[in-house]
Amino acid sequence: MSNHQQHPKANEKIRRFPKAFVWAHAINGIAFFALYITALPMYTEFFDWLYPVLGGPAGARLLHRIFAVIFITPTFILLIFSPKFFFKWMKELITWKKRDLEFFSEFVKELFGFNFKHVKQTFFNAGEKINSVIQILCAILVIVSGFTMWFPGFFPRAIVQWGYVLHNVGFGLGIAVIVGHVYLSVVHKHSRPGYSGVVTGKVPAWWAKGHYTEWYDEEVKKGNFPDLDDPKHKKGA
Amino acid sequence: MATEYVKLVDVTKCDGCRACMVACKNWNDLPAEPEEFSGTVQSHKKTTADTWNVLQYIEHENGKGDLEYLFRHSSCFHCTDAACEKVCPENAISYSKFGTVVIDHDKCVGCGYCVQNCPFEVISLKEYKDKNGKEYKLSQKCTMCTDRLEEGLQPACVTTCHTNALEFGNKDEMLAKAEKRLSEIKGKFPNANIYNPKGVGGTHTIYVLTEKPSVYGLPENPKVPTSAVVWKDYAQPIGKMMIGATTMAVVGAFITNNIISKRIKGKEDGGEGHE
Repeated sequence: MSNHQQHPKANEKIRRFPKAFVWAHAINGIAFFALYITALPMYTEFFDWLYPVLGGPAGARLLHRIFAVIFITPTFILLIFSPKFFFKWMKELITWKKRDLEFFSEFVKELFGFNFKHVKQTFFNAGEKINSVIQILCAILVIVSGFTMWFPGFFPRAIVQWGYVLHNVGFGLGIAVIVGHVYLSVVHKHSRPGYSGVVTGKVPAWWAKGHYTEWYDEEVKKGNFPDLDDPKHKKGA
Repeated sequence: MATEYVKLVDVTKCDGCRACMVACKNWNDLPAEPEEFSGTVQSHKKTTADTWNVLQYIEHENGKGDLEYLFRHSSCFHCTDAACEKVCPENAISYSKFGTVVIDHDKCVGCGYCVQNCPFEVISLKEYKDKNGKEYKLSQKCTMCTDRLEEGLQPACVTTCHTNALEFGNKDEMLAKAEKRLSEIKGKFPNANIYNPKGVGGTHTIYVLTEKPSVYGLPENPKVPTSAVVWKDYAQPIGKMMIGATTMAVVGAFITNNIISKRIKGKEDGGEGHE
């Protein structure tokens, strides 16, 4: 596969994400961390020093509610501006094949830096799909329970009480997974092009071919991406 | 804990004078809360942030064709196992050495978790304005006059009660008194009972009631909400462990990646190890 990197078009940037997704993802990410930070002193007293920074408990509450509303918008941004991508994403999430299970054993090797081979993946790899599924479930938990916590007067007491639990489970699981998600894109060397990819929407062709082979080859067939398997450029072949 | 104290409320001795309400307002410096007439002699529907005890007036048909007027001094129960203390995210609610449950207003952030989780619904939030006009909230409820207890005094409501319907003292002594009173009134009130619910570990305000708790609008089997236990004893600690675990995993991954790529570089002298 090393040939892909030597292909003259290997470094050409190809479009991976539509602009709507880039925006939706960024808003989602910023709101997520803003929500986490504005509520952190409620989660653990170790961060009580954040209260004065956030304008006191009342200020933190107000900020948390502003970002809560912002947190809900990305789904609609995507649905309005790029419904095609949204449904492609959803379809990926419910499609599970043997290659997805094979991915995980190779992924663990890759994560810790051992030798690994790429298992051919579609638009999203199995790990990304798991991340998506967990984040979507957590977001639903957090948003629904957030309503009961914000407007306790409109809900039965038991629902409000269980809302606290669901909110806690939702963000607790969400942040634990986000740590891995952010590490893999920002720090981990093999997947780092993914980070600039989600910011600009574009990734190098060789990287896309290596990581999402099935998707890449499909787009080549449609004539959208350069064919890195072009025998003219295969030096070793 | 030093000696545990209990406020014993014997509803059979109460004449509904409401001096306990006045004494509470007086000692705790709480403003009056004028209410519209709501068709009953009862002054307020329930306890509020500025009205820490309310005298209930319940019109009860006893099944023998008689209408009974039931009075009950209602305020915080000071549970042994208090849900409010459990759910408070700031540890602002604690147990005093007397067994009372008190709120530290320097720590309270006004989130209202205690308000929503109290099995007796006696806690309320109050909005304040600081000198800059900024609004903030604090949680308020009966303190059992813990500031008076510290000075060797009894709660204001107990001191003022002229029929001894309210008594305050050593827990065992009060419990014995309650049992004795119950045996005295059982003949006249067959449904009489002592209300000291086990689901919250017993309380520090204990009642001798003439009717079932539900007649007084009290829960028959109050307990710390299951959700509060799941939330505070499981969800929160497990969540903290999980973020610790994933953080450790990525730190581990970062270290092994560096070690392995260095080793490969040493062997092959440069070049991308990837692919």
